[in-house]
Amino acid sequence: MKTTTFKKQYILTGLFLLVFPFAADKVFNWNYGVLLANFCILYIIAVSGLDILFGYSGQISMGHAAFFCIGAYGSVLLHQHTGLPVILTICTGAVLATLVGALLAYPASKLVFHFLSLATIAFGQVVYQLVAQSPGNITGNFTGKFTDTISLFGWKLNSYTKYYFFSIVCLGIFLFIKINLVNSRVGRAFIAIRENSHAANGMGINVRKYKVIAFATSAFYTAFAGGLYAHLVRFISPDTFTQKQSVMFLTMLLFGGSASVGGTITGVFTVQFLNEILRSAERYQLLIYGILLLTVILAFPGGLYGLVRQILKKKGGKSDAAG
Amino acid sequence: MLQVEHLTLKFGGLVANNDVSMTVEQGKITGLIGPNGAGKTTFFNSISGVYRPTSGTVTFLGKRIDGLQPYQINQLGMSRTYQVINLFRKMSVVENVMVGMHPHMKQGFFASAFKTRAERREERECYERAYELLDFVNLKDRAFEEAGSLSYGQQRHLEIVRGLASDPKLILLDEPAAGMNSKEKEELNALLYRIIDRGVSILIIEHDMKLMMGVADYLYVLNYGKLLAQGTAAEVQANPQVVKAYLGGDE
Repeated sequence: MKTTTFKKQYILTGLFLLVFPFAADKVFNWNYGVLLANFCILYIIAVSGLDILFGYSGQISMGHAAFFCIGAYGSVLLHQHTGLPVILTICTGAVLATLVGALLAYPASKLVFHFLSLATIAFGQVVYQLVAQSPGNITGNFTGKFTDTISLFGWKLNSYTKYYFFSIVCLGIFLFIKINLVNSRVGRAFIAIRENSHAANGMGINVRKYKVIAFATSAFYTAFAGGLYAHLVRFISPDTFTQKQSVMFLTMLLFGGSASVGGTITGVFTVQFLNEILRSAERYQLLIYGILLLTVILAFPGGLYGLVRQILKKKGGKSDAAG
Repeated sequence: MLQVEHLTLKFGGLVANNDVSMTVEQGKITGLIGPNGAGKTTFFNSISGVYRPTSGTVTFLGKRIDGLQPYQINQLGMSRTYQVINLFRKMSVVENVMVGMHPHMKQGFFASAFKTRAERREERECYERAYELLDFVNLKDRAFEEAGSLSYGQQRHLEIVRGLASDPKLILLDEPAAGMNSKEKEELNALLYRIIDRGVSILIIEHDMKLMMGVADYLYVLNYGKLLAQGTAAEVQANPQVVKAYLGGDE
């Protein structure tokens, strides 16, 4: 009984995802909605990366916009200078960020809590300054850089709808890998480190190695999303990669609920929705993030998704008892 | 199988362990006792890699292990439990045991990311073994609950079985009976012999003298970081210095 309803849900979700861009674009003449969907998808990838790091392995990053930035600039600059296909440059940018992430994590793996927060804030600042005031103006500094969209074997993704389908396939792959990873020996090592790193070490887990792996994987996810962002918008400038962006990722993760796929998705949609309806109050964005974070940390630490699940569980328990 | 020679550990000016030597023999239960603050747990931490000894050597199965990291020492076949319960509280009971098997599993990052067939097989085998191991301490019916929800005594048992999951040659038990009621202590007593039957030797710290005098084949007594006495239970009990250390006495 339960499995069939679950399957129905999956099919309905799949259908909705398939029909959504056509309906939004053609029926409701709401092309902007498709763009928003694109943003949601790439933010889910980015925040999933942060989730692997923070939600699962328990290492905080307050500078994840830096990886988003490396992914975006890496791909754009590489495409501009070498003319390689965008899809390749996105991957290269993500690999570059992975290396940077591993390099950062090696010394940072000794740090915990607030020290790690400070180190990652500093890292975010360093990367921001580098692209904002680059040596030899290679990043275009505050003028920004224009770039091209993705083209797959000569087929240009020149509409938001086409881009949407490409991104959603990427999202599927990324979520598939994340789910596999957290349900494996590697994922167990991450969670063990989060729960009790001393005991993890005592149980034969090389804590530093797995912290580096978590950081590197996380960087890959977020940087790939950065690449998707750059070629979706086709313009990047340092303004996108400020500390505010890092805080937004963290807000999405914590507000939705960390250490779950559902929480990430919930968080991204909620925060994106709030961003949109409060667009006129943009300068209060950080204030809103602050309030959201406070609410979630104080009132429901499991995030919105955790809260909903708790309520459903209670309801289920009650009906079981009644029946 | 474990030889500790002249181990000294200093924290600044404080000498926590002073020239301690001891031997743990294969298939035996070796006990380490002493008053509170005698340096017993510190000693465990120095041989299991948490602290690096200031001087002295630790040899395990013919290999020098002083200066190695805890995870490396675990991989060589020495496992441990903790005085303060150190479970992965939010993981399920069976997952805690599966973490204990980590060093013996072979599948790496990419096999895990793409769930290869070999990875799925290893995961299934690991899960089945972990589930079976829970039977060893009667925790099978709690397998899918959060480890943090177990009773105190059960958590201690889970720590032991997590320590056994890596198939160690030697397990260090740090006050396993602390906080247990008398029934649980009896179970622990029997459990210690079953651990020996599995071919795992034991080095145990415990304050419960009744338990220690009963099970330990050989005892070492630590006081103020120094080795005060050693011998069988009867010998140690008869040692006037030991009695003085525990009960205090006139000079």
